[in-house]
Formats: sequence, C-alpha cells, structure tokens
Amino acid sequence: MKIEAEKICLSYGTDEILKEVSLYAENQEFIGLIGPNGSGKSTLLKCIYRVLEPNLGCVFLDDKPVKDMNYKSSAKKMAVVAQHNYYNFDFSVREVVLMGRSPHKKAMERDNAQDYALVEQALKEVGMSAFANRSFSTLSGGEQQRVILARALAQQTPCLILDEPTNHLDITHQLQLLRIVKNLDVSIVAAIHDLNIAAMFCDRIYVLKDGEIVGSGTPKEVLTRKLIREIYQVDSEIVTDSQGQMHILFV
Amino acid sequence: MKKNVSSDKKTSVFHTSLFFTAFIVLLAVLIFSMLAAVTFGNADISLREVYSVIGYELFKLDRFSSFADGAVHDVVWLIRFPRVLLALAVGMGLSVCGVVMQAIVKNPLADPYILGVSSGASLGATLAIMIGVGSFLGGNFVGIMAFAGALITSFAVMIISNMGGSANAGKLILTGTAVSAVCSAFSSFVLYIANDKGASAEVMYWTMGSLAGANWERTLIILPVILICTLIFWTQYRNLNLMLLGDEVSITLGTDLHKSRTIYLVLSSVIVGFAVYSAGMIGFVGLIIPHVIRILFGTDHKHLLPLAALLGSIFLIWSDVACRIILKNSEMPIGILVSIIGAPCFIYLLVKRAYGFGGGKS
Repeated sequence: MKIEAEKICLSYGTDEILKEVSLYAENQEFIGLIGPNGSGKSTLLKCIYRVLEPNLGCVFLDDKPVKDMNYKSSAKKMAVVAQHNYYNFDFSVREVVLMGRSPHKKAMERDNAQDYALVEQALKEVGMSAFANRSFSTLSGGEQQRVILARALAQQTPCLILDEPTNHLDITHQLQLLRIVKNLDVSIVAAIHDLNIAAMFCDRIYVLKDGEIVGSGTPKEVLTRKLIREIYQVDSEIVTDSQGQMHILFV
Repeated sequence: MKKNVSSDKKTSVFHTSLFFTAFIVLLAVLIFSMLAAVTFGNADISLREVYSVIGYELFKLDRFSSFADGAVHDVVWLIRFPRVLLALAVGMGLSVCGVVMQAIVKNPLADPYILGVSSGASLGATLAIMIGVGSFLGGNFVGIMAFAGALITSFAVMIISNMGGSANAGKLILTGTAVSAVCSAFSSFVLYIANDKGASAEVMYWTMGSLAGANWERTLIILPVILICTLIFWTQYRNLNLMLLGDEVSITLGTDLHKSRTIYLVLSSVIVGFAVYSAGMIGFVGLIIPHVIRILFGTDHKHLLPLAALLGSIFLIWSDVACRIILKNSEMPIGILVSIIGAPCFIYLLVKRAYGFGGGKS
C-alpha cells in the first residue's frame, strides 16, 4: 500500500514544527526518516498515524485521504510502534498483543481461535513466546518494545509506522526487529536515529531538519559527508565494506 | 520453541476456564449469601419460617400458604428480602463504577466516593429533600437530582484535574477531595438555613449510608437499572482495556475514546445516582473490590468486570448483615462500617508504591 504525506504543515502557537513536508512510500518500500532531535520526526509520524491533525496538507493511503476514513478502517491499514510505552497497569503480554486485533472486531464480537493463533505467531516472530503469560509491566524496556511490535504484527496491516523502534534495544534485537519488519512485504515509514542502521535497511531516506525536508534519496545518495556535516555538525568518513554495504564512521 | 507455544495455549485455556470456575463459584456464593442474609435480623424468626415465606412467594407452593400473610411474612418478604436485593444492586453498582472510573481516569485509586461523585449525588438529594429543588421532575425527583449531582461532579472532577497537563493520581485525589468538600459544605449550608429537624435526620441518613429504607418499589427500579448498566459495561470490555493504554495508542488501534469516555461517565453517574438515592453514601466498595479481583485475575476487563460485580454484591450483602447484628437492638449505618474497613485499605494502597493496575510484582 502506498503511503503519502502531502505538504504537511503544523504549528503550535507561533512555532512552526512542520513546514510543507511531503514524503511518500511506494508499495512495500522501507522509508527511513532521519534528522536531529527536535527536527519534527515524531510530529510528522503522528500526523501520519492520525494522533495529530495537520493544519494544512493531507495524508493519503493508496490515494485515499485518511481524514475521510474512520479510525477503525485506518487502523486496519496502518499499525504503529511508537516510542515510550510505559503503562501503569498489569496486562499480560498476551492480552497486550491481542489488543492488536481490536480494529478487526465489531462492537460485540468475541476473540476467536484465529485471533489467538495470530497472537501466538506474532509473539513467536519477535521471540517473546516464552513471555506470553508474564505481566507486561515486569518486562524490560527492550522486551516491551518487542511486545509492542508483536501487537503491530497481529494487527495484520499493509503499512507500518515505526517511531524510533530500536530505542532500548541491544544490537542483537535492533537487527532482529528491523529484519523482521524488512521481511514483512509491507510499506514502512520509520524514524531512525542510527545512521548506519538506516543505511542498512532503508530503500530510501528522508532527512528532516527544523521541520523541513532537506534531502531525500537512496542511502548512498543522501548520506554524504557534506550532508552529515550540515545536519549534525560532525565530521565523518564513509567507507564501503567487502559486501558493498556502506558504513559511516564518525571522526 | 514448539513446546513453549503449546504449553502457552494450555495456560490460556486454563485462564479462561479459571474465569468460568470463579464466575460460577461467585454466583453460587451470591445466591447462598442472599438466602443466608434473609435469616439475620432483630425479629426472632426461625429458619423454617423464613424459607417457607420465600418458598411461598417465589413458587406459590400451596403447602406454604399459611405464610402468605401476617407479621412473619411481612418482615421476611417486605422488609428483609428487598433489602438483600438492594444490597446486591448497590454493591454491584458501586463496584462496577469503581472499575469503570479507574479505566476512565487510568488510575487504580479512582472510586465514586474518593472522586467526590457520591458527595455530589448527596448534595443533589439534599437540595431535593430540603428545599424541593427539582420537584417538577415528578415522583422520583430526589433520585433524579442525585443523578444530576453525580453527573455534574464527575465532569467537574475530570475537567479540573485535566487542567494544565493531563491528570495524575495526586491531582485526581486532590480534586475529588476539594469537590467533595465543596459539596459537603453546600449540603451543610442548606441543612443549616432550612433548620428542619425531621429533614435533617433524613439527610443524615444519606451521608452515613443505610439500606434500611429498602422496599420493593425502590428495589424494583434500581436492580434492573444496575443490572442493565453492568451488562452494557461488560460488552464494552475492549474499549475499557484500550482506555488504559491511552488515547494515542487507542487511535492507532482504531478507536477514538473521547465519545465513549463521556458515555461511560454518564452511565456510571446513573449508577452512582441511583445507589446514593437508595442507600446513601457508601465509600470504598468501588476501590477495594476491583483491586482484589485484579490481584487474582488480572486487568482484562472481560473477566474483571463481571467478577467485580459479583464480589461487590456479596461484600455489601454481608456488610449489611454485619450492620444488623453488630449492635444489639439497633442498626449501624453501613457507610460507617464499610469506611472502617475500606479507608485503611485505601491508605495501604497509597503507601504501597509498587501498586499498578493489578498490584503485581512490578
């Protein structure tokens, strides 16, 4: 499914957070969103997943504006893994993942065997099967993040929005999480902090600075010494390893 | 890995059957409690007589027809039985309201009493009794005013505690206390200027809580209302679960909770209004009962709500029995008794900092 954001503008009072930001993800494309802290990455994603309403501009899923859909139908198309899922409650891991099925449920419909099967499958995929009956609040930050990914998988959507999904994760699970989503055959828009990770997984990258897109293209086109210097004020060196994978070294 | 999955499935089935077992057991205990509770009281009536009256009234059996009227019949059927049913309804209502309010404000310390909703209902009732506010609303205007009071205070507490950033536990409890104090002050003011001894006694009855006013007429209104509201809330278990995740996550899961939150608040105000109208202020039931069920069965509202409803009913039936027999030849107001038990539990919850939704080992 194609995700498209067109000329999104958003301001809080006189602060312009997003200035005519446009981006798109083709069907099954993995789009990365990079930029320094406070550049508006999360805000842009929130506009896409409908928690914030842009002042101007519009978000489309397969050319249909999301603002004309009800929340249920957009949740059937787009799942979200956001940062900071700290909850003041004690649901079990399985219950949390099962909530991913709620957009597919009518008001009085019960959870059926298929829902439970999808939940088990999603938990298995993120390697959290053994934790299914544990209380969510007793898990570590990284484990919680993987459970939230399992919830998004159980939601069975053609689009996935990830807001710094690898925060709190060790390197093993960072790579595991991104490989899982990369293999999903879904369209993905992900805000990613780590430039090397972005270079490894993204088909294309958008660079956001002060609420404006300042660069876009394949990782090789975008991640240059000049741009990194401009955006992050650090010097770097770009090398290519024996498998043709680019790496950014900070000096 | 495979082993894990299959054992998990087993435990999931186990979880569901655990719920059904608990549900059946609590239902059985509830029926037993009702039958046992009618045998307690000041009038000296034998067990055989009690059940003969009930057997006659429920099944119209001819061999019990000698119990069709007379003092024994009146005490059992017109005084004790409706009172037990009222205890059932009020206990269920307060407990369910506790569960729902805790979901709405995302905090396990919410309860109609602590959030000042009961005081609001009480103020509404006081205004109605003392100066006849709302008498144009017809025969049940005291109840309607109690509901209006409950509704206004619950919205006031929600709005005030959300001012300047979203509500947290401290702000909610402080707001509830403040609103409650305002309502009590107004109630006292009305009592003072009206200076009517008879009506003052009646209002006193509201603030201490008692089921002594039970009669069939009242019970037959409140019991169906509370049962229906409870069933409605049970069908909403998915939304109640989502509420605990917060508004943003709910939107990504396909539900905008703004509307349902308002509807739930209105419905729970209906319950609190009716409960206060018929039994006065009884605090802490909505706090302790859901807490106990969460410790044992978890936070999933699909299981939490019906079990809390049943346990709340059982709890209030036995509290009422205790009130009838603790003092010789007199009755203790149930609100006092429940607060004596409930307030220390509340303090315990406040002190135990690890307390989340479920009181687990977090």
